[in-house]
Amino acid sequence: MGRSYFVDEAVEQYLGGLQPAPGSCVTGLLAGQSSPQRDFVVLAVQTPYRESEGQPKASRGVSPLDDIDVEWVTEHAKQVSRMLPGGLCILGLFLVTPPELAKDAQNSLKKLIFAMEKYITKGRLWELSEEDVTDRVTLHICSKTKKTVCKTFDVKDPKSSAKPADWKYQTGVSSSWPMLTCSVEVDLLIPLTGSSSDNTDKCMKDGLGRWAKQIEAAYCLINGRQALDDSELISGQKKNLKTAHRQTLPARIFVSDEQSELDERSSALVRVCSGSIRVRGVVHCRAYIHNNKPKARHAAQAIKRDIINAVCSRVEMFLEDLLINEGSHKGLCSGQQALPRRVFAPMPISGLSVCDYMFPDESTADVAERLKEMLDCETPEEDIDTSLESKQLFSAVSGSETTDSHSDDSTKHATSEVQAENPKIQKASQYYAGVAVAAGIALLATATSLLYLNE
Amino acid sequence: MVLSEECDIIFRLKAILEFACQLDNPNGAQSQSTISKTFQDLQSKVSSKNIVFTVCNSPLLIWPNTGFQSSVESLTEASACGDILQYIESDDGGSKKSSKKREKKKSGPTVVNMKLLFEVTEPAGNEAPSLIQVSTQQHCVKMPLPLDCVLSVNTDESLSTVCTGLVKAINKQLADMEEVVLQYRKGSSFLVPQPFHFQLPEPAGLTTVIYSAGVPDSQLQAVREDLHRKFKLPSDRPYLRRANAFHFPDAAYKDGYLRNPHIHLNPPNLEDAKLYLVQGVYSYHHYMQDRVDDDGWGCAYRSLQTICSWFQQQGYVETAVPTHTQIQQALVDVGDKEPRFVGSRQWIGSIEVQVVLNQLLGVTSKIMFVSQGSELATKGRELANHFQTEGTPVMIGGGVLAHTILGVAWSETSGEIRFLILDPHYTGGEDLQTITDKGWCGWKGPEFWDQNAYYNLCLPQRPKII
Repeated sequence: MGRSYFVDEAVEQYLGGLQPAPGSCVTGLLAGQSSPQRDFVVLAVQTPYRESEGQPKASRGVSPLDDIDVEWVTEHAKQVSRMLPGGLCILGLFLVTPPELAKDAQNSLKKLIFAMEKYITKGRLWELSEEDVTDRVTLHICSKTKKTVCKTFDVKDPKSSAKPADWKYQTGVSSSWPMLTCSVEVDLLIPLTGSSSDNTDKCMKDGLGRWAKQIEAAYCLINGRQALDDSELISGQKKNLKTAHRQTLPARIFVSDEQSELDERSSALVRVCSGSIRVRGVVHCRAYIHNNKPKARHAAQAIKRDIINAVCSRVEMFLEDLLINEGSHKGLCSGQQALPRRVFAPMPISGLSVCDYMFPDESTADVAERLKEMLDCETPEEDIDTSLESKQLFSAVSGSETTDSHSDDSTKHATSEVQAENPKIQKASQYYAGVAVAAGIALLATATSLLYLNE
Repeated sequence: MVLSEECDIIFRLKAILEFACQLDNPNGAQSQSTISKTFQDLQSKVSSKNIVFTVCNSPLLIWPNTGFQSSVESLTEASACGDILQYIESDDGGSKKSSKKREKKKSGPTVVNMKLLFEVTEPAGNEAPSLIQVSTQQHCVKMPLPLDCVLSVNTDESLSTVCTGLVKAINKQLADMEEVVLQYRKGSSFLVPQPFHFQLPEPAGLTTVIYSAGVPDSQLQAVREDLHRKFKLPSDRPYLRRANAFHFPDAAYKDGYLRNPHIHLNPPNLEDAKLYLVQGVYSYHHYMQDRVDDDGWGCAYRSLQTICSWFQQQGYVETAVPTHTQIQQALVDVGDKEPRFVGSRQWIGSIEVQVVLNQLLGVTSKIMFVSQGSELATKGRELANHFQTEGTPVMIGGGVLAHTILGVAWSETSGEIRFLILDPHYTGGEDLQTITDKGWCGWKGPEFWDQNAYYNLCLPQRPKII
């Protein structure tokens, strides 16, 4: 009666290769795709090692299970979920323990799975629909016997109890999964009310949220056909797992400006804003859909969610990065700043791809390092595809802005000067050797912006 | 009442575009140019290659600005626009060509509803994603522009002509909206421009006018005078009030009352007779409606309600059709009845109808008196004149009954006459079939009247306003 998980052999190999230190535990993530009838697991990644201070608690008489750093596990889950293209998500967790801890492992898994789900979905701009599967899988592996126990929890219900599930290994689970792609043009103007950084966050969330709803409600064509209903995505195709050919299906998205809260008004909504943020550019999006008679609208939902994630993840990362480096949003100076670029790399063995966001001052070496740390896999730099999104920024000097600021000319002039300095300021982090140099430039740029841009 | 064999089509394209701009100083000189620039940007957006028309209830998508492309192979730019109809699913599941029960008379042109969408994929460029922040204090203005364009064509007009026509119509509507928005703007207070469609006499035809939301008809007198001059409309009756807006054949009336049930009747077979009928639109009011049990006493009230509905729908008044209580209160207010009249089940007659029309609607009426019902047969000329010049429904009371006369079929040569009667004594539901089959709305001969009773007729007069 429970769910069935079809798991790629590559995952079996990975799990079998894990070597926990005697007496200790290993946690990790399981990623793949859920469909109403069955679930597919295509990736397993152990939680990366975290340098922690002090002695491991286990040596002080506390169980290694209690030593599991829940925050770290959930943070890892969040980072990895940002790296998954549409259609794929974190389906659950695994836990390797020595035989004596097997009984208590179930409790730990339950705690972890609910914490993880809560953390990943916080701040997400699309809602789960009625049809989304809310069961998540927990896999317990005994380090001595290698025996696996697979159960699921319904994360929608905090009181749910573990249900048994099937765990079956198969070759090439995702080898024939079609890939949906599109490039989406984004141009959002988000007004900012108030001046504190909390306000900025809220305004960004509201603005992006409205755009996300437009995308969710948009009309979608996949491979030239309407993707509204329950019709099959690819009709008349024979299921051929042996074929190495993966179909690429172009998706087209059509939005309307209709926003129900505005519809009934008889006058304009006018707010005094302390400024505005514009997010613009072309983003590249990808989604995978299983090939077990997928419905067209599930495919449409997958690519739409990827579009929303593609924009929101990088804005989040950009703002998080500023927070770390500058301490507050005061560092978000006027003018144009490049957002991280999305790059794609092949996932270990399954043939699907993962993505990452590369800051302007980073290189493929940095991406490869992150992939190693987050996904526990070696990726040759030449396999990282940076060609899908461009580096060419829209020119703020010659471009048209719909403002009637009198100081337009002087602002734009100063902007282009500041712009040249900005890329170095943004990522003045551990990836740079010359921190002192960067700090000096930051000071200069801030002074410039104060001089020219304050009115 | 000429029946046209041609199937006319009205293409109706709707969209809500968001108007958004930032103003540094809403009262400054620059703000007008910023607003105009925003409208221009919207016009460019609508003329760009990313716009798509979708036809509602069909799988059809049309790209009008890329040398015409459609998502259905057999529909090309040269196809007759009438061919679209076979791809549209009507609400009951069948396609429009095979309609269910044909009504006795033609119901008017077919409406093809379309929506405007913008493609966000397949971008022209590949600009890198960036964040641009502006830190100056500004007024951020957001307003929905409810675009609603119509194009009235014959079925054999080509699709490409229709699409070009619609793109032009949207651009024109944006320009008209810009004018209205700027005209009524006060600083940072903007009123939403709303399109209204009016079926004007040829050559103007189906015309769209933009009015600002929140500005009542009473304040738009000068605007209407200009338009009456422009379209050469008579200056003594309303054509362009909001209530005069064209009623699209596929739209249901939200209040549930039947409109003009008489158009479904066949005219009487009278030699040499001409038809003189009520003009415009009225609602059928009768016993038991609105959960008021007025069976046996309310017939004149219902006839009065029918007349009030006519004045409201022709744009003469904005007040709602009065209830029995409101009618009774009006009579008390003018001193015609004692206060205990309100809440009673007392009958009223033509004189009271005249009084209430004056008190609540400001409408004057003529009273016609006949001493015997048989005399009504001789009133052909007067009634014909009334329907020709005023065209309002007539309330007739006498004997113990009240009725509404909607028209006459009268022969000037033989003097033969038939009366088109709307009977307020009907107690059933709004079932057109029953109402026409059973004669609740029907043609009656002179024998319909009580030959010996006296009758008073109330003939409401149109106010001379626009």
